[in-house]
Amino acid sequence: MTRAWISLLAIVAIAVALVGAPVAQPKEVVVGVLYPMSGNAAQVGIDCVNAVKLAADIVNANHDLNMPLAKGEGLPGLGGAKIRVVVVDHQGKPDLGQAEAERLLTQEKVHALFGAYFSGVTQTIAQVAERNGVPHLNAESSSPALTERGLKWFFRTSPHDGHFSQAMFDFMRDLEKRRSVKIKSVAIMHEATQFGSDSAKVQEELARKAGYEVATKITYRDKATNLDAEVGKLKAANADVLLPSSYTNDAILFVRTAKNLDYNPKLLIAQNAGWTDPTFLKEMGKDAEGHITRAPFALDMAAKKPMISQVNELFKKTGGRDISDAPARAFTGFITLADAINRAQSTDPEAIRKALVATNIPADQLIMPWTGVKFDEKGQNSGVRAILQQAQNGKYVTIYPFELAAADAVYPLPAWKDRK
Amino acid sequence: MTLELVLQGVVGGLLMGLVYALIAAGLSLIFGLMEIVNFAHGEFLMLAMFASFWAWALWRLDPLVSLPLTALLLGVLGWATYHGVVRFILDAPMLAQIFATFGLAVFLRSGAQALWGADFHLVKDPLVQGRVTVAGVFIGLPQLVASAGALVAFGLLYWFITRTETGLALQATAQDRQAASLMGIDTQWMFALGWAIGGACVGVAGGLLATFFYVFPDVGASFALLAYVAVALGGFGNVPATLAGGVVVGLVEVLGGLLFDPSLKLIGVFALYLLVVLWRPQGLFGRF
Amino acid sequence: MSRTRLAVGLVLLAAAVLFPALVTLPYPRDVLIRIFLFATLAQAWNILAGYCGQISLGHAIFFGTGAYAAGMFVAKDIASPWVAMVVGAVIAVALSQVIGAPVFRLRGHYFAIATIAVGEIVHILAVNWELIGAARGLYIPIKRPDSLVNFQFHQSKAVYYYIVLGLLLLGLGVTRLIERSRLGYYFRAVREEQDAAASLGVAVARTKRMAFAISAALTAMCGTFYAQYVLFIDPESVLPLSLSILICLVAVLGGVGTLWGPLIGAAVLIPLGEATRIYVGGTGKALDLVIYGALIMVVSVAQPAGLVGIARRLRRAA
Repeated sequence: MTRAWISLLAIVAIAVALVGAPVAQPKEVVVGVLYPMSGNAAQVGIDCVNAVKLAADIVNANHDLNMPLAKGEGLPGLGGAKIRVVVVDHQGKPDLGQAEAERLLTQEKVHALFGAYFSGVTQTIAQVAERNGVPHLNAESSSPALTERGLKWFFRTSPHDGHFSQAMFDFMRDLEKRRSVKIKSVAIMHEATQFGSDSAKVQEELARKAGYEVATKITYRDKATNLDAEVGKLKAANADVLLPSSYTNDAILFVRTAKNLDYNPKLLIAQNAGWTDPTFLKEMGKDAEGHITRAPFALDMAAKKPMISQVNELFKKTGGRDISDAPARAFTGFITLADAINRAQSTDPEAIRKALVATNIPADQLIMPWTGVKFDEKGQNSGVRAILQQAQNGKYVTIYPFELAAADAVYPLPAWKDRK
Repeated sequence: MTLELVLQGVVGGLLMGLVYALIAAGLSLIFGLMEIVNFAHGEFLMLAMFASFWAWALWRLDPLVSLPLTALLLGVLGWATYHGVVRFILDAPMLAQIFATFGLAVFLRSGAQALWGADFHLVKDPLVQGRVTVAGVFIGLPQLVASAGALVAFGLLYWFITRTETGLALQATAQDRQAASLMGIDTQWMFALGWAIGGACVGVAGGLLATFFYVFPDVGASFALLAYVAVALGGFGNVPATLAGGVVVGLVEVLGGLLFDPSLKLIGVFALYLLVVLWRPQGLFGRF
Repeated sequence: MSRTRLAVGLVLLAAAVLFPALVTLPYPRDVLIRIFLFATLAQAWNILAGYCGQISLGHAIFFGTGAYAAGMFVAKDIASPWVAMVVGAVIAVALSQVIGAPVFRLRGHYFAIATIAVGEIVHILAVNWELIGAARGLYIPIKRPDSLVNFQFHQSKAVYYYIVLGLLLLGLGVTRLIERSRLGYYFRAVREEQDAAASLGVAVARTKRMAFAISAALTAMCGTFYAQYVLFIDPESVLPLSLSILICLVAVLGGVGTLWGPLIGAAVLIPLGEATRIYVGGTGKALDLVIYGALIMVVSVAQPAGLVGIARRLRRAA
């Protein structure tokens, strides 16, 4: 009798031990990261990759920061598994983006896709993700169309052109009220690729809705050798506000040409890109004084959120420069993805997707000036907030929304001869 | 559109056109000598600009001051390109020649990025800055100096080709390679020299551009395209004619954009090229 | 064709046909699809430039025509992409005739630069043309389930693979036909000595236009395929000068004016680009492109007749 009981107990004990034993956790989580690392936007791509690597390091190692997964090592939901990134250069080509995304999924066996800055390339990668049922998180592409296509696996943390441009027009309207000035016309100038065209299209629609006259709309080919004709046309149109969408090189050329030809609108509100490239303000100095740009990210908010300086210091160590708009967004997007994977407690794509849908990161855990990260039914982060910054005394300061502003907006732009 | 703005456009186009012309001059010279289009010409320009930039970044030499150095450096590069690459494809089909210089272009462009990164660089506080106003027209001083420099360089080139023995030997080689060689002219030497001078021309252009234009690995591409059109407009092989070609390109670019639509301004340039060559298949002044 | 050649050809064909059955990973299939696509593009270009001697550096406009035809037809729900392929080819042929009439009067480098000029004009027009999406490009709506009618396959690349293989075989077939026909003789006569050919009664202008038409049609069909494969097109990806040059390079590397040159060129260049990008790229240092450029230079200097030339030399030496 005793032997039977002992045997039964033994069998039960073994069964419990087998069933109750911890499921083998994956040793690591792999994320495919795609950015342009050659060509025109290479510097931005490099910065974003550095930001992503920093985010991965914050997750993997112990950092004393008030942000998801910073404390402790690895992903606690997966038994401390670490995140590994596989970085790929898509050279700005949509078909390469597609090919690389597929390669990352099938050969590098990544669990999620991340990237890719250029809206056109992000689009093809999103399609690959959709076809294969794998999450794709995008942190910086600004074409509104990306979240309008009904994709189930695509998530975007960043605001898009619609948000930014809306902020610009809200600012203009509020400025009119506050300073009792009247803005009658706008001029739109944009470079002829996806970014510029999307931006210009949205701005034109919003301008008409707001009742401003669109004095002129100029498309120019990027990497221009000469912008004399464009600036001449702008002078002729003489609009109150100029809304440019340009990459860094053209922004620099434009400002210099405007200086030469004495063109100065009352307000210049830029659609980011060139204007928020750290090189731009450094090189332009007082020539860019008073220029306003939309910015998803503001370094001067560090006064209210010290975590921003901490992250910036860490970024400077590997990146060699201050963290700027695009890499800050990349950083935030990656932390969001890591957080979701952690909550999914598995690398199963559907589990990660559900976790992404349930994301809810509060404002104080972000380095961005947003109200949080929470995705709507289209995969777009609804907690975004666009802010406007103005170059004052060689540095960008937040001027809008007024309740977040660090300084008053300067209006109108100082004339060229008055810039000392 | 006021007269003032149009006049401004004319001046702007003229100044820019002179720089385009200088870039095109080297291209035309090389082609005239051996019927090879240097598809790496834009990258030569880029390297010249980088050379100027680094001279400023490291030793505080203004691009105008380091101009002779830049010209020399690019001259050496031209020479080296001839001996290292072009010499072997002199008699190859046109395609292989295109291929070789195109490969060189990709090599130089990516090499520049590998060495100096993809970021933009700008010479700050150049010797010449600011602008002057002449009869209501603004003229940026750096642009003015650059165009003047281009004109001077052009003049020197013209003098060299037509007034010196070596220059005449170059012309002879361009006209008839075999006859020149029979006359005792060392054609290999002439070819190398042609490449060296072509390089030096673009070196001067690059140095001048560096005083007001930003520098980065891809900068050569856009200029090169306009240079090809300028050369063809003037007539391949006719170096003085590229002055006219360059100026025309500059004027059409600015005025076309100003008077019509800036988005389509380059169409004006290319359409003009097509019209000219169809009317005169050898270019405005070409020998063909 | 000799027995051995025939045998080798059949073995290659069998291997090509069997490949998707043996290799099911999408990435290698994608590489082969791109090899076949570029081989066909280079073959099409080869007909005009290699056999007929007209060096066009603006061929991307035909690729773009085919791509946008597909894009417009599908995005605006006008007809099936296959219809678009035919329409695209027809438009491309018409375009080639319109361009060819004036431009073929030019010679040598003037002609080459004229083709660049035409290419750039088309590019700029496309960037500014709202109807086709201007610079924003066209998204081709995803249609499920996979279907031949819709020319979209999401589960596997196999059918894409076979379609592009078919295009390649078409290109090879057309080239072979031309090689052996009287038209082929006219092509070569025009290439070698245009004036002498004219004096012997060859209708030079018409011959050139014929070559242009065939070349344009085939290129456009490749464009339609690309649009259905990537499902997103914009002027930067289907009309740029760099694409025209790349098509050129593939043919030149392999061997211009030969039947197999373009395929060999593609089979070398595409994997090379992939290898350098995967193993050396991604650091932001563009080292992969440095190697790429150096290799192109070395090959063109060492053997201007392309890889086919090298093969011939080896065979002769053996």
